[in-house]
Amino acid sequence: MLQTFKIAFRLKNAYRVNGIVFAFRQIPLIGKLVGVGAYRSRGLKLFAGLLAAIWELITVFAGKLLYFLLMISFAAGLYESADRSAVFLHILFFLTILGAFYNTYLFNPTNDKYYAIILMRMDARRYALTDYTYALGKVLIGFLACGLIFGLSAGLPWYVCILIPLFAAGCKLCVAGYGLWDYEKHRKATNENLPEKWIWILGAVLLAAAYALPCIQVVMPEWVFIAGCAAAVAAGAVCWKKAVKFTEYRPMFQELLRSKREGTSLRQVTAKAVQEQNRKLISENSKIVSGRKGFEFFNELFVKRHQKILWKSSVRIAGIAGLIVAGLAAAVVQIPSVSQGLNELLMVFLPYFVFIMYAINRGTSFTQALFMNCDRSMLTYSFFKTPEAIIRLFVLRLREIIKVNLLPGIVIGPGLALLLYLSGGTQEPADYLVIIISILALSIFFSVHYLTIYYLLQPYNGETEMKNGTYRLILWATYLICFVMMQLRVPNFLFGILCTAFCVVYCIIACILVYRFAGRTFRLRS
Amino acid sequence: MEIREENTRFVIEHLAKKYDKKEVLRDISFTFEEGKIYGLLGRNGAGKTTLFNCLNRDVPADGGQFYLVRDGRPRLLRPEEIGYVLSTPTVPEFLTGREFLKFFVEINEDSIPDIQPLDTYFDMIGIEEEDRDRLLRDYSHGMKNKMQMLVNMIAKPKLLLLDEPLTSLDVVVAEEMKQLLRADKKDTIIIFSTHIMDLALDLCDEIVLLSHGELEAVNKENMDSKEFKERILEALKEEEHAADI
Repeated sequence: MLQTFKIAFRLKNAYRVNGIVFAFRQIPLIGKLVGVGAYRSRGLKLFAGLLAAIWELITVFAGKLLYFLLMISFAAGLYESADRSAVFLHILFFLTILGAFYNTYLFNPTNDKYYAIILMRMDARRYALTDYTYALGKVLIGFLACGLIFGLSAGLPWYVCILIPLFAAGCKLCVAGYGLWDYEKHRKATNENLPEKWIWILGAVLLAAAYALPCIQVVMPEWVFIAGCAAAVAAGAVCWKKAVKFTEYRPMFQELLRSKREGTSLRQVTAKAVQEQNRKLISENSKIVSGRKGFEFFNELFVKRHQKILWKSSVRIAGIAGLIVAGLAAAVVQIPSVSQGLNELLMVFLPYFVFIMYAINRGTSFTQALFMNCDRSMLTYSFFKTPEAIIRLFVLRLREIIKVNLLPGIVIGPGLALLLYLSGGTQEPADYLVIIISILALSIFFSVHYLTIYYLLQPYNGETEMKNGTYRLILWATYLICFVMMQLRVPNFLFGILCTAFCVVYCIIACILVYRFAGRTFRLRS
Repeated sequence: MEIREENTRFVIEHLAKKYDKKEVLRDISFTFEEGKIYGLLGRNGAGKTTLFNCLNRDVPADGGQFYLVRDGRPRLLRPEEIGYVLSTPTVPEFLTGREFLKFFVEINEDSIPDIQPLDTYFDMIGIEEEDRDRLLRDYSHGMKNKMQMLVNMIAKPKLLLLDEPLTSLDVVVAEEMKQLLRADKKDTIIIFSTHIMDLALDLCDEIVLLSHGELEAVNKENMDSKEFKERILEALKEEEHAADI
C-alpha cells in the first residue's frame, strides 16, 4: 500500500510540477526566458516542486478555513437571538452531512485517477484505497484544526471540537459505502459532480434545516450531535470495511472516468462544451430557406438559423426598454415631482448611455456565433479567404449587426426624447434631435467596433480558444472607457455632438482599416 | 512546327519555419508537377501539417518562397487556387449539404469548368438523396469529409493539399475517396500527407519524404515494392537517429 501511495504521489507531483512550469512559460516575458528546456531544468523543477508542496498544504486548510469562516461561523453570528455555539454546531451538523454527498473524493472523476488507473494501469483497488485514505487524512487534519479554531471561539467545549473531524470523516465514509453498495447492486457508478435528483432534493432540505430552523428558534441540542457523531463513526467503520473488501474498483472507475478519454484538460473540455452549446443554437426549422444568391444566400441562412442568439435578446431588450419608457412616462404625467427631477437628469444623463449601450449591444455574441458556427470551418476554404470574399461578407454582416443593435436604440433614443418632452421639455429643440442621433450613433458604433476588431484581430484558433492578447486588451479597454464615461457630467448637447462625431469618424476609419487589412488578418490562428 | 504544352509546376524554394527554437521546416525545396499525386510521408511530428499551413498561408513562413511556373513564367498562387482538406472535416454546420454546395458553386461559378446539376455532384460522392437536405451538423464524420473533399474537387484548384484525409474514414468511404482522387488528378498537383506507408504506395505516383525539416524524393526505379518500402523505412529511421544525436 505504501509503495502504491508513493507511486501515485510521485505521479501527481510530476504533472503538477510540469503544470507549474507550463504556466511560467505562458507569462509574456518570463516565458521567453524560461524556454522549452525548462522541463529539464532541475532548479526550476525544485522551485515548482516547492510551489506544488505549498499548494498541497493549502488544499488541506484553505478551503476548510473559508468554509468554517463564511458558511458556519459568520452565518451563526447572524442569528442574534439564539445561542451562538448551539447555532454553530447546528449548521455544522447539517452542512457536514450535505458535504459528504457533494464531496466524496472517491466518486470524483479527477485527472489523478484517470492518469493512475486508466493510463498507468495501476491496481485500481490499491490506488483507490490509498488515495481515499490520504483524502480522509486531509479531512481529519483540516477539520480538527478548523474545528478547534472556530469551535472554541464559538464557545463549544473542546471534546465536541475534537468530535467534529470524526463526524466529517464518518459521514463521508457512509456516503462512499452507499456508493459502492449501489454500484454492486445497479452497476452504475456514482459521479459526485452529477448528483441524482434525490440528492439535489436532500441537499435543499439539509440547507433549509441548517439555515432556516435557527430562524424559528429550532436548534439541535449538543447531545444529538454527539449521538450523530457516534452513529457516523460506527457506520463509517462498517463502510470502511466494505471499501476494503470491494473488488470492483476497476470496472467502476472505468465507467466513472469514461468522459476523460475525450480530454483531460479543462481548456479542452470547456472548448468542447462551448462548441456543443453553439451547435445547439442552430435552428432545425426546415421552413427556413433563402431565395437569394451567393454571399447574400449564405448570410441570410446564417442569420435566420441563429435567430435565437442574434435577435431574441435584442427584441427582449427593446421590449424592456419600451416598458421602462412607458412606465416613466406615466410617472412623469402623474407625479409632478418626478417630472422635474427626471428633466434635470435627462439633460446631463447622456454619458451614462455610453455604458448602457455598451452593456446591451450584441457585438460579442454576434462575432462569437460567427466564429463558432461559421468562420471556424469556412476559414479553411481558400475561396472564403480571398480579400473580395472577406470584404463582401464583412459588409453584409455589418448591415446585420447594425440592424440587431439598432432595434433597442430605436426604442431608447426616441424614448428618451419623449421623456424629456413630457417632463417639461427643453428650450433648445435641437436637444431632442441630439439625444436620438447620439443613441443611434452609439448603436452603430458598437456594431462597427466589435465586427472590426473581430476582422482585424481574429482572436480564435481552430479549437475555439482565444489566442490574441491584443483582442482581449481592446475588449477590456472598451469596458473601461465606457465605465469612465459614467463619471462625466457634460451637457447633453455638447456630449451628443462630440459623441456622434467620434462615432462617425471611428466608423469611417474602422471600415477603411478592414478594407485594407482584413484580407491578410482574417485568418484562423494557429 | 510542334507546339509542346508545358506542364504546370509548383516550386518551393528554401521554405523555413520554426517554433520557439525548434526548426520544424529547415530548408524545404522541391518541384511538384501537374497531374501527379505526391505522397508526403513523414513521421509523427515531422512537420507535415506545418508545411501545409505555410503553403495555405494560414501560418506565415519564416523564410523562402513558393510559386507556380507555367510556360516558363513564375507567378504567385492566388488563395482560390489552393484546396486544403483537413483530417478533421470542417463544414458550415448551419447549412444543409445542398445549400453548402449551391453556395459554393455560385461563389465560384466563374472558375468552375463545366458546372453540373447539384445532384450530379452528390451522386459522385455517394451521398444519398434523403441526406442532401439535412443540416451538415447532423452528418457523420465520413459524410462531412466527403463534402469537404467534394467542394475542393469541384473547384479544381491548381494545388490540392490533403492532410491525412483518409485516416479516419471507414474502408468503403476511403476506397471511394481514392477513386475520386485518381480520377481528378489530371490538371491538379495533389500533395497527400499521410504516415501510413501502404496508403501512400497504393495511391500516389511519387513518394516524398519530409525528414530533418527537408523534402526528399524517393526514387522507385528498379525496385520492387518490398525494397522500396525498406528504403523508405530506412530513410525515416535516419531521422530518429539524427534526433538522438
